[in-house]
Amino acid sequence: MMGELERMLSQRLGRRDFIRYASIVGGAGVLAACRRATQRPVGDGTTLTRPPVEQEPGALEVFDWTGYGDDVYGDAILWKGYKNRFPAEDIQYTVFKDDDSSYVKVAAGQRFDVAHPCGYRFQDWVNLEDAGAPVLQPWDTSLISNFPNLNPSLEQAGQFNGQQYFIVADWGFAAPMYLADKVEPREDSWSLLWDERYSGKISWWDSLNMLVVAGYYHGVPDPWAMTDAELEEMKNFLIDKKKVVRFFWTGTEIDQAFKTGDVYIAYAWPASWTVGTYYNKLNLVYMQPKEGRTSWYCGFALFNDTDNYYHAHEYANAWTSARSGQWLLANYGYGHTNTTVDLTKLDPGLVETFSLDDPTVLDEPRTHVERPIERRDVYSELWEEVKAA
Amino acid sequence: MTTETAARTEAPRVRSWPTTLGLLSGPLLWLAFFFLLPVVIVGAYSVGGLSLFPTDAGLSLFDWRRFLTGESIYMGLFWKSVRMSLTVSVVVVILAYPIGYFLALGTKRRKYVLLLVIIAPFLTSYLLRVLAWKVILGDAGLVNSFMFWSGVRSPDDPISWLIYSRFTVMLVLAYVWIPFVALPIFVTLENLDRSLLEAASDLGASRWRTFWRVTLPLSLSGVLAAFVFVFIPTIGEFVTPLLVGGIRGYMYGNAISDLFTQGLDWQTGSVLSLFLLTVVAILTALFGRFLQVRKVVTD
Repeated sequence: MMGELERMLSQRLGRRDFIRYASIVGGAGVLAACRRATQRPVGDGTTLTRPPVEQEPGALEVFDWTGYGDDVYGDAILWKGYKNRFPAEDIQYTVFKDDDSSYVKVAAGQRFDVAHPCGYRFQDWVNLEDAGAPVLQPWDTSLISNFPNLNPSLEQAGQFNGQQYFIVADWGFAAPMYLADKVEPREDSWSLLWDERYSGKISWWDSLNMLVVAGYYHGVPDPWAMTDAELEEMKNFLIDKKKVVRFFWTGTEIDQAFKTGDVYIAYAWPASWTVGTYYNKLNLVYMQPKEGRTSWYCGFALFNDTDNYYHAHEYANAWTSARSGQWLLANYGYGHTNTTVDLTKLDPGLVETFSLDDPTVLDEPRTHVERPIERRDVYSELWEEVKAA
Repeated sequence: MTTETAARTEAPRVRSWPTTLGLLSGPLLWLAFFFLLPVVIVGAYSVGGLSLFPTDAGLSLFDWRRFLTGESIYMGLFWKSVRMSLTVSVVVVILAYPIGYFLALGTKRRKYVLLLVIIAPFLTSYLLRVLAWKVILGDAGLVNSFMFWSGVRSPDDPISWLIYSRFTVMLVLAYVWIPFVALPIFVTLENLDRSLLEAASDLGASRWRTFWRVTLPLSLSGVLAAFVFVFIPTIGEFVTPLLVGGIRGYMYGNAISDLFTQGLDWQTGSVLSLFLLTVVAILTALFGRFLQVRKVVTD
């Protein structure tokens, strides 16, 4: 992968090629940061004893993020290929607001056909067991016709024990976002999230990631593995600064809050920028803070006890198509795993905002890819204390 | 009364035990499986007898001790919720009493039509009713827009405490509960012996004096019931604070919800839940005594 990157970077790429390869470069950043990715080849799940697709019950149950199953912004195009194949079948969506709540729900026994967790939780999901049997099973990549076109480094991050447990589909950033008409940051920094000049107009994500962000702001050596003393300091810092916050957002309500003027500044994902800019016609700035943005990648997992094995593969195939990738980038500002997406058709403003024409956009220290937090329970407990304090 | 009717009236009411057991088994099984068993499970989680993850610590009273001794922040949050619920309950009862009074004593015709109108909001989604307040109270909402239009406030300076505050939570909770609370007050006043009011009037008492000395004392059981109906559920309320409370409206119920769904800490969540359940049980027992439930049942 690194050789491929060097080859790409040593060539004089046209802007078209540069953008085209941006998602591959992003994948390299993900790979570099993903400690748990393995070097083993892709494994195939068994398909021999399964009933044919015609005998499957259908009505696929998908456990996905808010914004990926409610079709509020036309996201149904992401699974259009699936609907083309099974036009008479409805998909049953259950949406979640963050990785912890989705993981807890599945750990507590809820089952679906397909789920969409994020990379820093992949290992936890693979480790889940149900009476001794694994909760997930690997995908049979030969059933996903788009798989050869997917970013190899991203897909490698979805491999465990030599098998493809996750079809990595999307990636993106997290950074401060603000209304340019209302806010004048003193500097490009995460500190905007606790700028007292805008007290009452700021929203934080309801997630322990706020502790990580505070860690980056304070120059903690490794915000994903903070010591007890560092965590205590970050907790107290956030409790102290919480007074400037109006509410903690959990889903797409943050987009509405920007639109109504309830909020001027927020911890945000690219989708909030695209929704605010394109749908709500707001003058939003997605910041590149001096401490670095954080970034993430997510992928589809297949449940072990699914009766919709082939349906699930068809769904993953639809999601990873170039058409889905095009839509995802253009409408949510999220990167996509399909490398055949024609990125030149994107709005130049979008490309500039997310630096898609910059091959180093996902490199440290400019961007920090989310990593597994070994002591997530401690982080979580402290974040709950921040909220309740 | 005919002989036949009298005989029917005097027929023994004692049923055979299989019949009694058969009639009771359904509700008892329901209670056992859907109330007692879950409570036992939550209790087991609270002391580590059960755990979500195999790596969680075993049996321990650590979380109970931290909570009850005030080492954790949740006891403070509990008292904050109690204060908010008390405020809401008192305000709601005060506002609902005139409604119940008007329906029971102020109207003779169409009182049940009016009652239906009052409880009509219950026919719509709870979520919808709460979210509607966002439209009314937001920075660009109905109230602030009127302020801007009338020149009372500048568009750059909306009244920000209208939304995402404790005030908002209490306002919305009051709105949600008023129709429900008016019902027990209405029923009490409806069953009031009108001859007592006439007697007070005949004896020269003013309407105000009649209200204070006769109507209000005789309707106190309804008032108390109304208070309980609001106070107990709102202590554990979490939907309204989640939607319109912001960081200042965060309540005890939100902490329980978050600990179970987000915090990966079912043990602490179970401690908080059981404590709330215990408090509610005690309150119910206390208020039940004042409400003379047994008398109502035997009547």
